[in-house]
Amino acid sequence: MAAYIVRRLLWTVLLLLVITAITFLIFYVLPSGDPAKLRAGRAPSADTLAAIRNQLGLDKPLYQQYGEYVWNIVRHFDFGNSYTNNQEVRTLVFSRLPNTIFLVLGAATIWFISGVIIGTVSAVARGSFWDRLLMGGALVAISAPVYWMGLVSLYLFSDDIGKFKILPGSGAYQTAHGLIDKGHALIMPWLVLAAAFAAIYARLLRSNLLETLSEDYIRTARAKGLSERRVVLRHGLRSAITPIVTVLGLDIGILMGGAILTETVFNIDGVGRLSFDAIQRGDLATIQGTTIVLAAGVAIMSLVVDILYAFLDPRVRY
Amino acid sequence: MSGNRLRFLVVSSLAALTLVVAACGGNDNSSSTSSKTAAAAPAGGTPDTTAGKKGGKLTMLASSDVDYLDPGHTYYTAGEQVDGAMGRTLYTIGPKDPTKTIPDLADGEPQISADKKTVTVKLKTGVKFSPPVNRAVTSKDIKYAFERFFSVNVGGQYASYFPVEGAPKSPTKGVKPISGITTPDDQTIVFKLQDAVAVSFAAALVMPITTPVPEEYAKPFDAKNPSTYNTHVVASGPYMVKNDAKGNLVGYKAGKSIDLVRNPNWDPKTDDRPAYLDEIFIQTNASDANVSAKQVIAGQNMILDTNPPANVLKDLVTNIKDQYTQVPSGGFRWFPINTTIKPFDNINVRKAILAGFDRNAARLARGGKFTGDLPTHFLPPEFPGFAEAGGFDGPGFDFLSKKNESGDPALAASYMKKAGYPSGKYTGNEEFLMVTANADPGKAQAEVAAAQFEKLGFKMKLRLVPQDSTYTEWCQVPAKKVAVCGAAGWFKDFIDPQSMLEPTFAGYTIAKDGGNNNLPQLNDPKVDAAMKSAALLEGAARNKAWGEIDKMITADAPAIPFVWDKTTLVRSKNVVGVANPYLALWDFTYSSIK
Repeated sequence: MAAYIVRRLLWTVLLLLVITAITFLIFYVLPSGDPAKLRAGRAPSADTLAAIRNQLGLDKPLYQQYGEYVWNIVRHFDFGNSYTNNQEVRTLVFSRLPNTIFLVLGAATIWFISGVIIGTVSAVARGSFWDRLLMGGALVAISAPVYWMGLVSLYLFSDDIGKFKILPGSGAYQTAHGLIDKGHALIMPWLVLAAAFAAIYARLLRSNLLETLSEDYIRTARAKGLSERRVVLRHGLRSAITPIVTVLGLDIGILMGGAILTETVFNIDGVGRLSFDAIQRGDLATIQGTTIVLAAGVAIMSLVVDILYAFLDPRVRY
Repeated sequence: MSGNRLRFLVVSSLAALTLVVAACGGNDNSSSTSSKTAAAAPAGGTPDTTAGKKGGKLTMLASSDVDYLDPGHTYYTAGEQVDGAMGRTLYTIGPKDPTKTIPDLADGEPQISADKKTVTVKLKTGVKFSPPVNRAVTSKDIKYAFERFFSVNVGGQYASYFPVEGAPKSPTKGVKPISGITTPDDQTIVFKLQDAVAVSFAAALVMPITTPVPEEYAKPFDAKNPSTYNTHVVASGPYMVKNDAKGNLVGYKAGKSIDLVRNPNWDPKTDDRPAYLDEIFIQTNASDANVSAKQVIAGQNMILDTNPPANVLKDLVTNIKDQYTQVPSGGFRWFPINTTIKPFDNINVRKAILAGFDRNAARLARGGKFTGDLPTHFLPPEFPGFAEAGGFDGPGFDFLSKKNESGDPALAASYMKKAGYPSGKYTGNEEFLMVTANADPGKAQAEVAAAQFEKLGFKMKLRLVPQDSTYTEWCQVPAKKVAVCGAAGWFKDFIDPQSMLEPTFAGYTIAKDGGNNNLPQLNDPKVDAAMKSAALLEGAARNKAWGEIDKMITADAPAIPFVWDKTTLVRSKNVVGVANPYLALWDFTYSSIK
């Protein structure tokens, strides 16, 4: 197991290196606009543009720029400074990362638990009224765009502009203090972000579980006289849930790069919002920093999932 | 004031979905102990700025952050709005008269020499820096502010407005002295200029570059590349960003919030601004405009940074009615026609395009009649020279008048015939390049414009490019041969008609290598000569001369102006909001809570 983890970590490092090269190529070699011109202000002279390029290091050969960029990340974990407000990208990203992690992990907990419960109930009661109701509801949740659902939730339930003033609304997270207050402010964003994912997971799990429950070993378990609850939860669910965990890991990893829509509509200062602002302003250094964080999130979560397999599925050994 | 300037970006991106009402808001009944009724500024009216109630905390929901807090670096209206509350510029523009520059840190009007090459400014006494500097402001602090502006570490963005003798031609490494700025005593600063441009130079002294910066404090920050003074700015105005004993701005969280509190060293006797509020908290990531606008309208003690979305404004206008203020943005949106490309070099072709152009349709693409008035020339309303150029009625040219706001095909055909096209339409087969942003409203308005050109027989090739490169990589680069720029706007940096018309239409400002702001590349020697003469004038004579120049430019038909923008500002019911006409944003130093 230890050798496997080390091997995977080395591959992750290599993967991140490739990703830095690709993002560097996209953002620095093929940019839509010249960062120096965007920063130079009114009627800049050629000398002014040259001075800014020099300041940003854009006048160096590309291989040198890339080498310095990677070296600074490796040595100092330094992603450079924002092109638009001079702040350290590292500080900008890491001051927002806890907010994104809190948002994503809370929502993931909700969608995973509710997805598993709904999927299991639906599979066990296949064809029943409850099955149709739950799967119909899931279809609605999958079809509703997160942004739309966020706005509707705010207009219905937020304590400032809502019809029924039940939950903290947009911007509440930013002004909340302490873990409990912040958690309270995140109830609506968690539910909105979790809704679509829970529905997808429920449908996926239902399908997997139905397939698993028709396997020979399940029939054997029933023939041995095990209770239906034990058959479903111990033998059926354990096998059916493995692909769900894979997807969960990747989804969490992707969302670590920012749940942009949820962060935007609920005004949560997360990595997604930072990335969105940076794209709007053509802030290449920040865009690249957030992209690498996203890539690292996916790579690390992928590794975590693979390790979890060993515990979930007795057949898997490293 | 180039097309890529940040002020333009803020206005353009947020005005996109806006409906603005022509008349507004009137009086709000005050619940305070004040005997007067405090009023938000109605459109075109004069706000009562003396009736506020002292105290309270105001929250502004802003869709984006400031660019910089450093007054030497900011060029965003959002940055200037905060800097205006923190710092004191030599001159300013108050809410009562948007056409007039008034002294702030200066003690009286600037003294301009007869040869228009020297400007002398006297400073008030008793103005002090906030902690941790805690000393009186002197003229040397203004001198240092100018010198650091030219340093690459600081990155001043509008050096061409300040052609002082000895000013560096390109950004310096480190802060270098400028020989043309002298300080005979602590209350006097003298600017010696390279050319006879003292009048426009004096008008530009409202810009944040004139905010004092204490050298002994800022020097270590400015020595770094980039300068870190941005997170250590000291105040000289009524408010300061909350800081610690070392001057670190703990109240500034980039991309999240800015917390402004009272500057304990501010002396109200030295300042005309009432500064009623105790604290201003700015959320700089209130990204959903719909939600933010509704929160402001339904809430207490809140303002919105700029235009609300169209649907919210409709509700404001039809149902709520008394929670908004409207202010001219001080600029024009236009479709520049490249006068160097055939057949647009033919003045009658250009006049035909203007005559047949449905400007109403183009404005509709930006949100309709409430986004602003349809122009009949270039200088915008409530701006020096506007009335002299004909006001709203315009100079009286048939191809750009109130009578053809939706286009006049017959008149257009008549001009095409004069241009040598007997059918009344263009008969060539070549394609003309029109470049615009790949997002609305730039995209929508350019599509309308392309259709107008095609009505006259021109084949247009519409190229959509990212917003950030529309100007810098296309419209401002003559070598790209852009026939029509589809997403252009020009907005004031200060109150002077020269700054509106010279960079945009003077032949001698055409920059062939890029960074060109004369987008039509108009090169009319008569216009150029008139500009050179008018640059030396002052007061009413200056306004008259630039009004006449505006008429001359309009007669040349180098572009289609299609909106004189207005900005609509939204507030909670218990806020007495006063707009700053210079920035077309709320003014923290005059606004108050009921």
